[in-house]
Amino acid sequence: MSQSLLATASFPYCPGCGHTVIAKALAWAVESIGYHPLDVIVVSDIGCCGLIDGLLNCHTIHGLHGRSVSLAQGVVMGMQTSDKKVIVVLGDGGATIGLQHLIMAARYNVEMTVILHNNLVYGMTGGQKSGLSPCCSTDIDDDYSDAVPPMDVCGLVELAGAAYIRRMYIDDDIESGLAEAIAVNGFALVEIIENCPSHGIRKVRELHGLEHKPIRVLKADRPAFRSKRRQTCSLLDSLEEMEKTEESELTGTVEVVIAGSAGEGVQTAAQLVGSAALRCGLHVAKKGEYPVTVAAGFSIAYLTLSTTPIHFQNIFNPDVALITSQDGMDKVIGLISEKTLVIREESLTFSRTGNEIRLPLRRLAGAKGSAFASLLFWCLKYQIIPLRAIQTVIEGHHHAEKLKLTLKMVGELLSEQAF
Amino acid sequence: MMRNQQVLLTDGSRVLIESLAMAGGDVFIGYPITPANLLYGYGQQRFPEFFPAPDEISALQWCCGYSAVGKLPVTATSFPGFALMLESLNMAFMMELSMIIILVQRLGPSTGSATVGSQGDLLLLQGAISGGYPLPVFCPADFQDCWELGRLAVEAAIRLRTPVVLLTSKEMMMTERSLSRSTLPIFETTEHSPQIHASLNSYPFTPDLTPPFAPVGNPHYPVRLNASTHDSSGLIRNSTPEAMKNTERLRDKIVMRMNEYACFDHDVDERSRTLLVTFGISHGAVRKAVEDLRDRKIYVDRLTMKTMLPIPWSVLEMMDRYSHVFVIEENITGTLKQIIFGSRKLPHVHSIGRIGRMIAPDEICAKVVSCLNPC
Ligand code: SF4
Repeated sequence: MSQSLLATASFPYCPGCGHTVIAKALAWAVESIGYHPLDVIVVSDIGCCGLIDGLLNCHTIHGLHGRSVSLAQGVVMGMQTSDKKVIVVLGDGGATIGLQHLIMAARYNVEMTVILHNNLVYGMTGGQKSGLSPCCSTDIDDDYSDAVPPMDVCGLVELAGAAYIRRMYIDDDIESGLAEAIAVNGFALVEIIENCPSHGIRKVRELHGLEHKPIRVLKADRPAFRSKRRQTCSLLDSLEEMEKTEESELTGTVEVVIAGSAGEGVQTAAQLVGSAALRCGLHVAKKGEYPVTVAAGFSIAYLTLSTTPIHFQNIFNPDVALITSQDGMDKVIGLISEKTLVIREESLTFSRTGNEIRLPLRRLAGAKGSAFASLLFWCLKYQIIPLRAIQTVIEGHHHAEKLKLTLKMVGELLSEQAF
Repeated sequence: MMRNQQVLLTDGSRVLIESLAMAGGDVFIGYPITPANLLYGYGQQRFPEFFPAPDEISALQWCCGYSAVGKLPVTATSFPGFALMLESLNMAFMMELSMIIILVQRLGPSTGSATVGSQGDLLLLQGAISGGYPLPVFCPADFQDCWELGRLAVEAAIRLRTPVVLLTSKEMMMTERSLSRSTLPIFETTEHSPQIHASLNSYPFTPDLTPPFAPVGNPHYPVRLNASTHDSSGLIRNSTPEAMKNTERLRDKIVMRMNEYACFDHDVDERSRTLLVTFGISHGAVRKAVEDLRDRKIYVDRLTMKTMLPIPWSVLEMMDRYSHVFVIEENITGTLKQIIFGSRKLPHVHSIGRIGRMIAPDEICAKVVSCLNPC
């Protein structure tokens, strides 16, 4: 295969278009550094400049409008090697729609060279203004051109952490400029202010009347981003596998709702009792329900324990409701029926006929211990889960000491009730 | 009752991520969104590489970059994030890049309710690829499926060179259940090994319609990937006959080869002329309803769809055997029903659906009984 990056001498652009000049300069720059074409990956954006793929002998990816930088970032991170060069070809339209991707690649300092073909206009769609167009760069101007300045992409990527930033005019020595950028070990952006004879500024010399100032910034001290592969362990290995060691008095299936406030240990309490139930050979399903906030509003745990496999869990009419706060009560009150055993915090105002136990849960176990206390009370009083199974799961928990205190308190409560 | 078995209490997210990592997933790239947030956390723990993307468009573009160099990326999202991914998903499909997208359905429309489950995104997937091209979708119905379909999805993504969607719901990914580890068989990783093709074209025609994969950056020949219409060279072309042939191949490849991955669970009672069809999270309720109906001597069959888009021909033909078909899904627009039967109102086809909470087995039984015995 030819060592030359350019595969053809014929270009698809309009006569006099700056893109032809840049394509030739790119080939010169790559070859001057000594890259073999197969060590180069050009990722091109949508727009006239994106027609470059067919001109090149290297790997090419032609993606979506504005997303070429992000796609190129994925390629660089995926390769985990520095002996390939990723070069992005995009226009001012692509930079406008994909600004976030430029900022992100600069922030990571991903090793790539971005050639921003800034002809100050959307050429392919007929000469509309881009976010980089100054006033009067196209005949299709809008009412706000004077009030809204063009974006300074060079300034933005510099702030984001790019290793190299360069702004040049199409009639500058762009071969050398591109060669310098491609040699950079990190994120390099070269913005080339160019003409679009068909829809934008026609003559190169008119470009120099614009306010774009040439820029050259090199920050060699920041290492280029390299992704890392690491060893990981099975997610299932990190869970405790439980064997049946205890017996439960439960026959059939029981559906329990634990209703409290977010941040008060409702979900953890249900998990602990679920784990203890596994030690008794029971099948378990546990679903959580809470608003999107983590520590405000209600927190409901739906716990099903069964001697047979549970194929469906959605508790509409619970056998047991354990209610520890007003938030929880407001949420589940519609689920409670005549058949439901309610065990609840005594300070809550709630009137119903039916089976109900009121306990000083919050006073004795505190807000954060009340859900676990209510579950323990129910499990032990009705011999759903034997004490030994509960003690075993508490022993393995990182808050074992606190949980033991709650267990002790519940034990005392049950003794008092026995008298 | 289980006796002397080692049992775990786990959610479906953990099982699915473990399966995908075991099957050959190289990297998890994601943007956090409820109810896919457990998947994000497990992805960070389990995959050899992990990247927090700044948005869902970047997430899928990074996935495409990883896939282009020969790695298998996985991402997870919910409708709002998936909507942002759509154009990039089309790009991945057009470039024939392997990847896994887990779509955890939540109540819509729009942002809807992040913590309420749903099954509302099936029609979105059917129309996701411009032109109506088939996008392989795998729908786990329980934790064993999370394990098995995770593996199959990776295999299909690599072998068919396509993005694959694992379509699930909040209840499957976040509800914890007891699970015996012995029900999750050990399996082999699917190798994503490069195949250098003698034609030196990026998309050569082969008998299985799937071009051999060579990574971008390989030292043998230039690879051309293209989101725009292209022929076998991978270079941009207008609607030339060669380019159209390549584009038609994208449809034919999936239609022909998804049969290799067709998965469904057909529970048959010889006396039945009634079929209950479902998928994903509604499977549990339908299974229970079928048991209850049979207990009442109302004989019904159950079909749980696990792979879709396209729906296997054998499944469509099977529908003709029944006098009544009930399609049960957690939405009120009947998306699965539309995919199977179209928009026409057919007297023997009935929808059972609801929003805001899961469908209950009792509701299914009541509707079936009232339709079969109208008086
Ligand atoms: S329209 Fe403008 S940018 Fe596009 S090829 Fe023609 S001159 Fe160049």
